[in-house]
Amino acid sequence: MSESGEHTLLPKVALVGHPNVGKTTLFNALTGENRRVGNYPGVTVERSSATLRTPHGHELELLDLPGAYSLSPNSPDETVTRDVLLGDLPDEPAPDLVICVVDAASLERHLYFVLQVIDTGIPVVIALNQVDRAEDKGLRINRQVLADELEVPVIACQGTTGRGIIQLKQTLRFPFPPPTPRHWKGPGAVEKAIEKLRKKLAEAGIERAQAHAIHLLADTGYRVEAQSHLTPEAQVAAREMASECIAKDHPPEDEITEARFLCIRRTISASVIEKGSEAESLSDKIDRYALHPFWGWVIFGAVMFAAFWSIFRFAGIPMDLIEKGFGAMASGVSSLLPEGDLRDLISKGVIEGVGSVVIFLPQIVLLFLFIGLLEGSGYMARAAFLMDKVMSRAGLTGKSFLPLLSGFACAIPGVMAARTINSPKERLLTILILPWMSCSARLPVYFLLIPLLVVGSLAQTMVMFLMYALGTGTALLAAWILGKRIERSEPTPQFLLELPPYRLPDFGYVLRHVLGRALSFLKKAGTVILGIVIILWALSSYPKAPEGEDQLAHSVMGRIGQAIEPVVEPLGWDGRMGGAMLTSFAAREVFNGSMAVTFAVDEDAEEDDDAVRDKIRERISTAKKEDGSPRYPPLTILSLLIFYIYALQCLPTTIVVKNETRSWRWALGQLAGMSAFAYVAALAVYQGGKLMGF
Amino acid sequence: MSVGLTEALERDSALNLDQAAVGCNFQVTSLKGPACRQLREIGFCEEMRVRKIADGRTLLCAVCGTRLALSRTLAKQVRVTPV
Repeated sequence: MSESGEHTLLPKVALVGHPNVGKTTLFNALTGENRRVGNYPGVTVERSSATLRTPHGHELELLDLPGAYSLSPNSPDETVTRDVLLGDLPDEPAPDLVICVVDAASLERHLYFVLQVIDTGIPVVIALNQVDRAEDKGLRINRQVLADELEVPVIACQGTTGRGIIQLKQTLRFPFPPPTPRHWKGPGAVEKAIEKLRKKLAEAGIERAQAHAIHLLADTGYRVEAQSHLTPEAQVAAREMASECIAKDHPPEDEITEARFLCIRRTISASVIEKGSEAESLSDKIDRYALHPFWGWVIFGAVMFAAFWSIFRFAGIPMDLIEKGFGAMASGVSSLLPEGDLRDLISKGVIEGVGSVVIFLPQIVLLFLFIGLLEGSGYMARAAFLMDKVMSRAGLTGKSFLPLLSGFACAIPGVMAARTINSPKERLLTILILPWMSCSARLPVYFLLIPLLVVGSLAQTMVMFLMYALGTGTALLAAWILGKRIERSEPTPQFLLELPPYRLPDFGYVLRHVLGRALSFLKKAGTVILGIVIILWALSSYPKAPEGEDQLAHSVMGRIGQAIEPVVEPLGWDGRMGGAMLTSFAAREVFNGSMAVTFAVDEDAEEDDDAVRDKIRERISTAKKEDGSPRYPPLTILSLLIFYIYALQCLPTTIVVKNETRSWRWALGQLAGMSAFAYVAALAVYQGGKLMGF
Repeated sequence: MSVGLTEALERDSALNLDQAAVGCNFQVTSLKGPACRQLREIGFCEEMRVRKIADGRTLLCAVCGTRLALSRTLAKQVRVTPV
């Protein structure tokens, strides 16, 4: 992603429109990029850009902005769009041209936003998306009349098929068209106020005086919130003008909105012909069941369960292949290199440590494939609709469910997606509980440990399902408790969400996205995790133990384990597990590597060809205490799993939470709170289980 | 029928969207409440046709070719008349 200012010399074109109208798909089609898309509102929450070359050879910077229903923002992501278009961001001049992406099937709803964008004084091109769907719905849009009414070019296009992309690029030729004049006219008092305010702003040296004057009068919030681009005097002047209008019984917000809607009705009646009433679509037929108070939940449960089951069921074959690959590598290294530290480092450190993480790549791929298909199909918004009732018990709405569901892939985009939530309190609560959605980094640990508890893919799926349900259930409970403690004078959040039509996911995009995530997982395994396992191997191998003494106990890692043992012993863990848990604060997956390395270093026997994961599991299940009892009984494994559901072992998440909440207090409080809760929960499970005789 | 009588009849038949019957078509006549700006911007503006698809704690409506889910509290702020 380009940072702001990188292409400051290039003319700038911005893509704007309602959420989920297809801006990012169009952005990808225009630039050849592969940015994240999905069939639900709120996928893009920040400004991003790429370079675009027109058919005439000119280079442009294309900005993809978060979706917005209006330039009077209701959530932080919409604020970004307004600020960019009004040129209110420092070091980010307003774009030279705006492509307004509009859904042809609901043109009337989109024109309010188009008029607001025209009022910014920036030249506008309308990209009329999904014309086919509009025609299926019985709407016929006369594009030429629409273009004449609004005095802007109108291009029919379809980002997913590439239709209209060339024509769209051709309209970006230099020089850009001049700005379109405003199409509506308010009552005399409002028009006078706009003109007076424009003059005052221009005298004060504020750029884009006309656009700011209109927006200051049209949006009460903009008149009172702190604006770095506007002087306090300008806002005071705007408030005075607004008061004058109100005194004359012409509240400027209402009058400007009314004038814009009059213009929309005029434009629609001239350019759109309805060819009959809308028939029930396939989406409606599916929704009769998918949103049904009973069948909706059955379908939701079945979709989730099928996903987890398929992850367990179908990952086996590729996992075996990966295991064989690592086994062959270990054998090769053992036969090629002479006995010594170098052989140990490569076979016991690098191959076992990294192998114990990479082995779970197929599951990660399946999880992302599943999430990609869900995001692309339109079902995510239905799940949010169903969950609204449950979420309301916790003081949230169904809108929070979308970022929470993203958290199952990774907490970071989930935390950022919370920008789409308009209630600040609901947004804060969502961010605070989000790390309890089990992210993909926890999967390698879960997949290593769950087979130690139960046998068979169905039973393992059930346990996995319960782990996700436990994380989510506790998160909602925490939101309910925290919601009562966080005092904010704001009304109860209300659910308002657009449900997109169901679509066949773009399989090409989903596969590219999954491949990208798989490569990123392998990169992490080949860099961060490789580095950590090498350090772990060194810490477990040095200083060398005298002949006849236990190497691990003598090593630095062993001593760290001994030091931490009193803290983790009440959880049923030993020093080795405690040490592995400590190292996984760098990255959760390191737990597997740490267990693999410390077991391998500890083992005197010659390297064999056993599969990596089976070897760790076998070592865990056969390890004995001095009295001959199992070192890691099922209760210990359960306590460990509980700890991993709740512990926030991800520094990047803490940093993103700090950035999003603008407070170290919340970020560090969340880290400390979740770590303490994880410890207490694991303690309660182990000690409670022991009391019950397990 | 005089204009005054038509208006009076329309006023009498107006109801809030949360009270409207499922499966029927309506026209938005007015919006009143703290969220009316947000509702207008998403599509519930005056004169827009609305079809109520599902009732409950969260309502489902078809507005201008789009399905919108909204809470009952928000639906109370939308005044509609049957068409």
